[in-house]
Amino acid sequence: MKTGFNFAYLDEATKRMIRRKILKAVCIPGYQCPFGGREMPLAYGWGTGGIQVTASIIGKQDILKVIDQGADDTTNAVSIKNFFKRVCNIMTTDRTAEASLIQTRHRIPETTLNKDQIIVYQVPQPEPLRKLEPKEKETRKLHAYKEYALMHVKLYEEISQFGSVIKTWAYPVETNNRYITDPTPIPKFDNPKMNNMEALQLFGAGREKRIYAIPPYTKVKSLDFDDHPFEIQTWDECCSICGSTKSYLDEIIINNEGKKNFICSDTDFCKSNLEKNK
Amino acid sequence: MNIKKIMHVENLTHFYGNQIGCKGINFDLYKGEILGIVGESGSGKSTLLKCLSGEISPSAGKINISLDQGGVKDFLSLPEQEKRQLMRSMWGIVHQNPRDGLNLRISAGGNIAERLLNVSEKNYSFLRNTGKYWMEKTEMDSDRIDEFPLSFSGGMQQRLQISKILSSNPQIVFMDEPTGGLDVSVQAKILDTIKSIVRDINVTMIIVTHDLAVVRFLTDKLLVMKDGIVVETGLTDRVLDDPQHSYTQLLTSSILQV
Ligand SMILES: Nc1ncnc2c1ncn2[C@@H]1O[C@H](COP(=O)(O)OP(=O)(O)OP(=O)(O)O)[C@@H](O)[C@H]1O
Ligand SMILES: [Mg+2]
Ligand SMILES: [Zn+2]
Repeated sequence: MKTGFNFAYLDEATKRMIRRKILKAVCIPGYQCPFGGREMPLAYGWGTGGIQVTASIIGKQDILKVIDQGADDTTNAVSIKNFFKRVCNIMTTDRTAEASLIQTRHRIPETTLNKDQIIVYQVPQPEPLRKLEPKEKETRKLHAYKEYALMHVKLYEEISQFGSVIKTWAYPVETNNRYITDPTPIPKFDNPKMNNMEALQLFGAGREKRIYAIPPYTKVKSLDFDDHPFEIQTWDECCSICGSTKSYLDEIIINNEGKKNFICSDTDFCKSNLEKNK
Repeated sequence: MNIKKIMHVENLTHFYGNQIGCKGINFDLYKGEILGIVGESGSGKSTLLKCLSGEISPSAGKINISLDQGGVKDFLSLPEQEKRQLMRSMWGIVHQNPRDGLNLRISAGGNIAERLLNVSEKNYSFLRNTGKYWMEKTEMDSDRIDEFPLSFSGGMQQRLQISKILSSNPQIVFMDEPTGGLDVSVQAKILDTIKSIVRDINVTMIIVTHDLAVVRFLTDKLLVMKDGIVVETGLTDRVLDDPQHSYTQLLTSSILQV
């Protein structure tokens, strides 16, 4: 561990403050709690909110996994992992099943999370109503009074224009029959995993200084209409590496002729699946 | 007859600083009634309507309302949440400028859907069909349901605003000079539409206008205002045909009788 830093970089008072906010967030599922966010040694938009949440709850026994778009080996994921290695001297892993703490940007692992795990989402924009109502004062009222008609109007407009809801990521959910929540820019494929998840889900937004949470075993419902029910993405292809038909697939172009291939976005899942099938 | 009283107003008074807005207003509103408020510019019509519809809180007075559910309530002491909920579904304001009542970033159908979504189940076909139904009811072309408000003429925007408000089957509708900004020929057509609909769905309405032809044509009861106070009130035909107050006499003699 690098000396000169407190464990997990933040000072103890800050961590305590953030933990108090996390507890509040857990008590009011889906509600965005303002918190006194600190400056972190990286720019907004690179996971400062998620890092502060992780730093506040990480312990010496924790095994950390960090993913970016499902991959453990991307620059952003690797540098966050290295950061925590330096300031906590903890173990890290690529294996979802081995991790006790997972920080993520834009995906939920395919492997089902369990009650001994916590997943921390990096949040670029915590307010699901922001695009519909620019004024913060008004969006707070809309949440407080549960006036969510506008959210469904958005879906109405998409069905009217395109025949179906075309939003495929950051697809809004209703948490615990109460607050409309932004699931962060995960594909809507991952939304059903949030429902009744055994693991605690924490969300940190650095720039907007908000923390919200979904406690274990909480109902999370993707917004829809009775006669246009929510649906996840499906593919005709399977993963060209491991053959999976159940995972979220990324489309990649593999030659100059524009030939396409599909591979699992979750690299750990793909590897394990390949080993299992050998 | 046992017609339900849905609003009771007592000594309603509003001052803008030292400037009198309206003063000592008393009246009762019954279900299905259309109440007109007339008077010259600056007489306090809009101030009164804004007090009644919760847009401003009056300096003094009492408003008791009787909702379909929930019995008699003191409107002025309702929490903000309940007032907003009332405005979003059970009551409705038709603004003079349709842009104040429409969301310009969403389609005509979306505007109607927004209001319905405050009360209805989440069913797309229902929103769609109800939207079309109300557009036709207000004599709009329902094929234009996916167009945005700015692609409509001023008169059509006003029809859309009326569709939106009426679609939730409101208990009381407030209108402040709903045709004020429009061409005379368009005004007449929209008033025709309003008249046929209100009789049809038996809505309760308070409408502000300074047009006595509109009053005669549309309203059951009348408040005549001058300098912030009500100088005369009564059944519309009585007030217009047999005005008692000198100001009302002046007012009625200044228009051509139809
Ligand atoms: N926001 C305000 N601040 C101060 N005084 C106001 C305000 N609004 C209205 N008034 C004053 O209150 C009085 C009543 O105005 P109000 O707008 O209610 O009249 P009105 O009958 O609706 O007139 P008009 O026919 O021109 O719409 C007027 O003297 C007006 O100048
Ligand atoms: Mg006025
Ligand atoms: Zn794979």
